[in-house]
Amino acid sequence: MKSALTWEVLAKCSTTKARASILTLPHGPVNTPVFMPVGTQGTLKGITPDQIEGLGCQIMLNNTYHLGLRPGQELLDVCGGAHVFQGWNRNLLTDSGGFQMVSLLKLAEITEQGVQFESPHDGSLMLLTPEHSMSLQNSIGADIMMQLDDVVSSLTTGPRVEEAMWRSIRWLDRCIKAHKKPESQNLFAIIQGGLDPELRKKCIEEMVKRDTPGYAIGGLSGGEEKDKFWRVVTLCTDLMPRTKPIYCMGVGYAEDLVVCVALGVDMFDCVFPTRTARFGNALTATGTLCLRQAKFKDDFRPIEEGCDCITCKSYTRAYLYTVVTKETVGCHLISIHNTAYQLRLMRQVGDSIIEDRFPQFIHKFFKDLFVEKSAYPEWAVNALRSVNIDLLKE
Amino acid sequence: MSPLTFNIIRQSTQLSARRGTVVMSPVAATGQSSTSEKDSVIDASAKRVMETPGCFMYSVKGSVPHFTPDTLRLQGFGGVNVSIEHILQDHQPAGLEKWPFTLSKFLNFQDFILLCDIRDSSRYSKVPYNSDRYVSMMTHQGVRQLTLEEYLKVVRVYEPDIVAAFADSISDLDHTELGKLIGPEPGAKRVKKSVDRSLKWLDQILKERQGFDTIAEERAKEEEAKMNRKKNKQHQGTKDNGAVEQIEKETKALDLDSTKAVQAKPTLKPWTGVSVFAHVVGAQNEQERIRSAQETAKRQEVDGFIIDTNTLLGSKDEVLRLLKVSIDHLPKEKPRLVYGMQAPEDVLKSIALGADLFDTTYPYQLTEDGKASLYNFGANSTVSSLINKESNSSSKRWINLWDDEHQDKFVPLLEGCECYACKGGRHTRAYINHLLRAHEMLATVLLMSHNMYQYSKFFANVRQSIQDGTFEQYSTSFIETFGTEPERTGEVHPAQLILEAALSKRNRLDGEGDEDTEAINAAAIAAELKKKEKEQMRQARREKLKEEGLRIQAEKRRLQSEQRQEKEVVSQMP
Repeated sequence: MKSALTWEVLAKCSTTKARASILTLPHGPVNTPVFMPVGTQGTLKGITPDQIEGLGCQIMLNNTYHLGLRPGQELLDVCGGAHVFQGWNRNLLTDSGGFQMVSLLKLAEITEQGVQFESPHDGSLMLLTPEHSMSLQNSIGADIMMQLDDVVSSLTTGPRVEEAMWRSIRWLDRCIKAHKKPESQNLFAIIQGGLDPELRKKCIEEMVKRDTPGYAIGGLSGGEEKDKFWRVVTLCTDLMPRTKPIYCMGVGYAEDLVVCVALGVDMFDCVFPTRTARFGNALTATGTLCLRQAKFKDDFRPIEEGCDCITCKSYTRAYLYTVVTKETVGCHLISIHNTAYQLRLMRQVGDSIIEDRFPQFIHKFFKDLFVEKSAYPEWAVNALRSVNIDLLKE
Repeated sequence: MSPLTFNIIRQSTQLSARRGTVVMSPVAATGQSSTSEKDSVIDASAKRVMETPGCFMYSVKGSVPHFTPDTLRLQGFGGVNVSIEHILQDHQPAGLEKWPFTLSKFLNFQDFILLCDIRDSSRYSKVPYNSDRYVSMMTHQGVRQLTLEEYLKVVRVYEPDIVAAFADSISDLDHTELGKLIGPEPGAKRVKKSVDRSLKWLDQILKERQGFDTIAEERAKEEEAKMNRKKNKQHQGTKDNGAVEQIEKETKALDLDSTKAVQAKPTLKPWTGVSVFAHVVGAQNEQERIRSAQETAKRQEVDGFIIDTNTLLGSKDEVLRLLKVSIDHLPKEKPRLVYGMQAPEDVLKSIALGADLFDTTYPYQLTEDGKASLYNFGANSTVSSLINKESNSSSKRWINLWDDEHQDKFVPLLEGCECYACKGGRHTRAYINHLLRAHEMLATVLLMSHNMYQYSKFFANVRQSIQDGTFEQYSTSFIETFGTEPERTGEVHPAQLILEAALSKRNRLDGEGDEDTEAINAAAIAAELKKKEKEQMRQARREKLKEEGLRIQAEKRRLQSEQRQEKEVVSQMP
């Protein structure tokens, strides 16, 4: 299949499955491993495009379902796509709308044809078929588009999981056929199959035959046990072609990112950093600070010492305590910091892979975050052990 | 000794309008070390200038709404207005001695001129009446009585560039939800009291400014008087004329008017970096307004004057008349800050009377309503050249971005505008309309950028016209072209109502919302507990104040009865 990207691996970790690369897309280069902030409705929680660029962000997400409702396909066609619409000149990735099948399940009806959504805004019906999703995504003009997949919650068991897996393959074919701009937009396939290794294997086998520019691991991050989660991830990265970027959707927390990079994943997205910012929670290398708590009212340090984001350079925790959840500026300031934190983390991971000291980085990361070895999450210890890192040994 | 200087560059010949600068000279280091100076994004050592007529940026809880530090500095204003009722935490001023900051540093405003007043300057909001000892204010958590002593403690730690003197604005009148005063008109006695109180407090503040600890003085006098009364009781009954003199001395001592006190020398640090602006009050009473202005003007150390028109009843014309009464009796060489005259035409009329400083309430309110301003002042001030032809908005001075007609308008808010939102056509009306309907915060960030920029440009053009002698001419044509600001009704736009209905429905259905709901519930419970704690604290404080008030009254009564007894004793002497 035609590809609108180039993928160059700069360095491979000599211990784990991690790699640092440059993914070059129509709107510029992206250093991987990369965390992609989520600007669902064409904006990132009150942060301006200049500020997002200033944080070093090279690619962010928009959501097809939401933008399809508002402002709608017609308007996007008139103005020339989502890049122009939101004033963002770097890369965009659009989710197909598939996840809304899970999150808005009560309003969705799934058939072979597609997914029928009832709009929560005005009750109108939208039939999201693979063809329609492609058409919408073509209008949006994102540099990476995701196929429409049949998503089931990772907690689902039984024949529904297999049905969804086969349907996702059939829908991938329909997507490829309907995609009108493969020379400027990259279509990624999404591996389904729930938590069943056999189903995952079959899915990968089939989807790899379609030779899309990149692949994603879907259907995870839905509340399943972490110990099952990582095993699916590592199985997928083992079987997927190593010459293409691998994207694990919906991940996540800082420790999840670090472990998945070690397991061979290159790209991530999650609403967590900006969502938790809305509630006054700031992410740091030593844990989360809930700035709503009274204990911060006389804490005159910045959120994180050494952080170069505008929030940490300008304000103390004591000041943020007064505005967090009360003024919109409080939300902007924490969102900026949390996004800066996640992006910086990925940069540090990438640098450590290039300098082949990723294992040392992982040890330090876990120590800073959890302090006591007894507090290290068991699933992370198991996962890292599978790629030759023993977290419990110094 | 004041770090503030006001220079008048040009005085209009026919009107009282004038153009000038307010300059804050950098003060020698006050000894308060900063912790992260090296990473600071701003230069704190520069001389700071505000051109007049000009504006302080209105802030809420210490932030100019919707602006992060970087976007804030793209605006063209040199000053910020912070109110104590927004920023003082419930437990403070206790613990403020440990504060390693000035207010400027804490709020990251060191490159601006910071003005600190007690109450929010953007609108009237009713609080219980003031007393001789405190001013009521409306904090985030509710009403709080701020005593003069607390105020002085706060000022000593905050060290704002300009502090508004503790003043008695009559603040217990009824008003509409949007802050428009209803009444009833305060009585003559009340107005006179407010003028007297404000002057008394001002004098005390000016003494504190020089370093005299007037609070300690008061306490010492009270103690002395107590002791004297005890001694006096021992002398009671003796035929001693000296007793009468003694009583008179005590009476004087117990009078809390400290201007009569003779203090040896200042014991506290003087406010070297802090200038004082005095409120000029008097409500609707013309005589009292004149008296307040004249008396306040007599205090030479006052650096500027504040007239709060939010507290004035009546039509705009009536309010302007009262404003003129005050300004006419103020010295020309000091700046005048006016609250409540916000819309452009009101600003022009106030400048014509001699006002120099305002605040940015107007662009803030427009933004909150989803509006983007289109007015312009000066040579090119015509409607047709500014409004995009496609727009059929009925108002010439702003467009409401909630309106359906903007949904497909891929044009900037105002053609040719150089603000962050409009520059280069990067953000369009269609995009902002989308953001509003999608309940996204970037909408207000962009609208605020635009409205603040327009207001700043307006003031720049006004200054230029005073310089060129065209102020009167352009003011007239501005009012002809753009009319008057329609009154804010507080009515929610129908599109906004639809959005809110949809949001509440979605929050009930959306699986994505679960984490939100949990967090919201937890937050609600925590907030409830906090609220209870604070209410208890406030209750305790109120009781303490009441007790003290009662104690002082009891003292006075006892003294009076003793006086009467003494007089009886004396009169019975041969």
